[in-house]
Amino acid sequence: MIKRIFRSTCLVAVAVLVASLILVMGVQYEYFAHAQQTQLSSQLDLAKQGVIHEGMGYLEDLSVSGSRVTWIAADGTVLYDNQSDWDDMENHLEREEIQEALALGHGSSRRYSPTMMEQFLYEAVRLPDGSVLRLSTSQHSLVTLLMGMLPSVGLVLLLALILALVLASHTAKRVVEPLNQLDLDHPLSNVQYDELAPLLRRIGNQQKQLSLQESELRRKKDEFDAVTASMNEGLALLNQKGYILSINPKAAALLGADKTCVGADLMTVNRSLQLQKLLHAAQGGQRAECVMELGGGRYQLEASPVISDGSVSGVALLMFDVTEREQAEQMRREFTANVSHELKTPLHTISGCAELMMQGLIKPEDEKQFATQMYQEAQRMIHLVEDILRLSRLDEGAEDMTRENVDLYALTQTAVESLRPNAQEAGVTLQLEGESVNVEGIPQLLSVIAFNLCDNAIKYNRRGGSVDVRVYREGTDACLMVKDTGIGIPPEDQSRIFERFYRVDKSHSKEVGGTGLGLSIVKHAAMIHQAKIEMHSVVGEGTTMTVRFP
Amino acid sequence: MRLKFDEQLELLNNEMITMGALCENAIATSTKALMEGNVALAESVSDLSGQIEQKERNIEGMCLKLLMQQQPVARDLRTISSALKMVTDMERIGHQSADIAEIVTMANISASSDTLYIHEMALATIKMVTDSIDAFVKKDVAIAHAVVEYDDVVDDYFDRVKNTLIQRLSQPGADGEYALDLLMIAKYFERIGDHAVNIAQWVMFSLTGSREGEES
Repeated sequence: MIKRIFRSTCLVAVAVLVASLILVMGVQYEYFAHAQQTQLSSQLDLAKQGVIHEGMGYLEDLSVSGSRVTWIAADGTVLYDNQSDWDDMENHLEREEIQEALALGHGSSRRYSPTMMEQFLYEAVRLPDGSVLRLSTSQHSLVTLLMGMLPSVGLVLLLALILALVLASHTAKRVVEPLNQLDLDHPLSNVQYDELAPLLRRIGNQQKQLSLQESELRRKKDEFDAVTASMNEGLALLNQKGYILSINPKAAALLGADKTCVGADLMTVNRSLQLQKLLHAAQGGQRAECVMELGGGRYQLEASPVISDGSVSGVALLMFDVTEREQAEQMRREFTANVSHELKTPLHTISGCAELMMQGLIKPEDEKQFATQMYQEAQRMIHLVEDILRLSRLDEGAEDMTRENVDLYALTQTAVESLRPNAQEAGVTLQLEGESVNVEGIPQLLSVIAFNLCDNAIKYNRRGGSVDVRVYREGTDACLMVKDTGIGIPPEDQSRIFERFYRVDKSHSKEVGGTGLGLSIVKHAAMIHQAKIEMHSVVGEGTTMTVRFP
Repeated sequence: MRLKFDEQLELLNNEMITMGALCENAIATSTKALMEGNVALAESVSDLSGQIEQKERNIEGMCLKLLMQQQPVARDLRTISSALKMVTDMERIGHQSADIAEIVTMANISASSDTLYIHEMALATIKMVTDSIDAFVKKDVAIAHAVVEYDDVVDDYFDRVKNTLIQRLSQPGADGEYALDLLMIAKYFERIGDHAVNIAQWVMFSLTGSREGEES
């Protein structure tokens, strides 16, 4: 702006200068030409008198500089010329001023001489003898006039320019300064220029609108952040090129990103190939999902394209934890496989024995043995089905069973007594000690807990070992502790023994018997009573199971 | 013009990251195959190695095209030229992972039960590869330095594996072929570590303009 003001000021100064120069020159030129002509004719008058009186002698003695004097006879021959050799000169009769002088006694003309490249003024007068005396001088051309004036004109031009420069910069600064000092944050408080008022008013209005929109946006973003921050699922929004637009803390933690990742390429945050494939599909407009290992758990990732105006404008990436779901699925699959397997084994034996008997391949004396085996396998199946039924009843809850106040000690004693023959058979000493403790619970389930725990303690024991059962009160809790000196449970299996059909030693399960459901039933029964099961086991030394009823 | 160039550089960067991820995948898979003696898994590594090779060609082509069309200078030139060098190292990592997997397939060995330091060595190598790619992705000189330093750990593991194998071979009835296979595997891991160091050094070069050990 300063530049522009300066430039126009200078331009105006130069233009005024040039215009006035031209005007002055025009007026002056006319004036000079007139003055020259007058001067020339007065000189001619003087010369005329001289020539009349003295003739050729006067001319020869005359020394004039700047002017050309020519004497021409009445027939046009040149008699004298003070600047050229008059003998060689052509006849001058046809010259305009000569003709005029011959006719009127006085003539003048103005001609451009191609030989001298100058304009000449001519004055001619007829002498009494009929000859003509002519005086001519070169006229000052415009250029020569200008040349003469150049230094002074140049000086004035320079002065004007300097003045213009100083003035222009000063003016420009003064004009621009208030503009520079406009307070755009409060546009309406500026009163320097009335011309700016509409603009400033408009800016003010837009500012107000902007701040409104901004606060609205911020509020929405805060809302969004608050919602996504408390989400248990990971959520990330990406633009169509895969740059992160927004990511919630959970997703950031899962992808291993830090706070600075917003605006970065997701690829630089997590370069897993699975994720890349997923995003690629989503960027191509396809909804895609996969399950991958993230942050120590299994997560299902869903990438869905955000489509606007018919093209993919971004990708929404949602990740949720499927660790438990997968485990549950796995357990269900295992359970089904186990149930069918456990049911099939005794059936095969029974069917095999029956087939042999049917075909009469068995000697009569062996028949009893086969029948015994069939009976045992059938019994095993019955136990199994009973256990499964019990378990499924527990699964559905125990609403139909009535709770009552029972003596845990008496209940345990019954279980221990019923297992005493088994213990003797296995060569294990079985002891019960403790006090009478009353518990609010379902007697059938409590006795199942005691029975199964003691049964396991006997089964997974060694010959000559012992099983100590204690019922006691610790604080407000009623406790049932079963301690054996058996084979123990390896640490890696300890978390799994309560799963259905889980066996630590799968190869010997048949010898020991049991259905693999015992502890599972104990766990469920304990859960219904809000009881906790504590387990302490060392391989080769034995296992201690404590059930704590609150 | 510059905008297009930037876009191409970004594409190059993304391709490099993908290739890095493929390499990480290859070495992780071959290590897993080695630890579990899983032949099927080992066979899948050669597929990965093929993908890595394909990526190398792509990236090389991209780099040459960029050099020719954009005539980059200064930082851009360093980025592209070091990318050209890095893909070679990455390709070697992929290839050597495939070699390890091939030994697993051919010799049907499983190192999981072994008391050797192969597993630790594999983990250390994987860490180096991951960190060197990380250094490239995050443009972090500090991580790159750490990778160069960490090479000593892998070298140390190699010496330990070698010494254990020597002891084992000196005992009567030692299985020479098995020992040699393990030594080869250890050597491959050691070489992969060296390639990771190279990658880290190229990362440093592209960021700072001077290579490790040079006065800047």
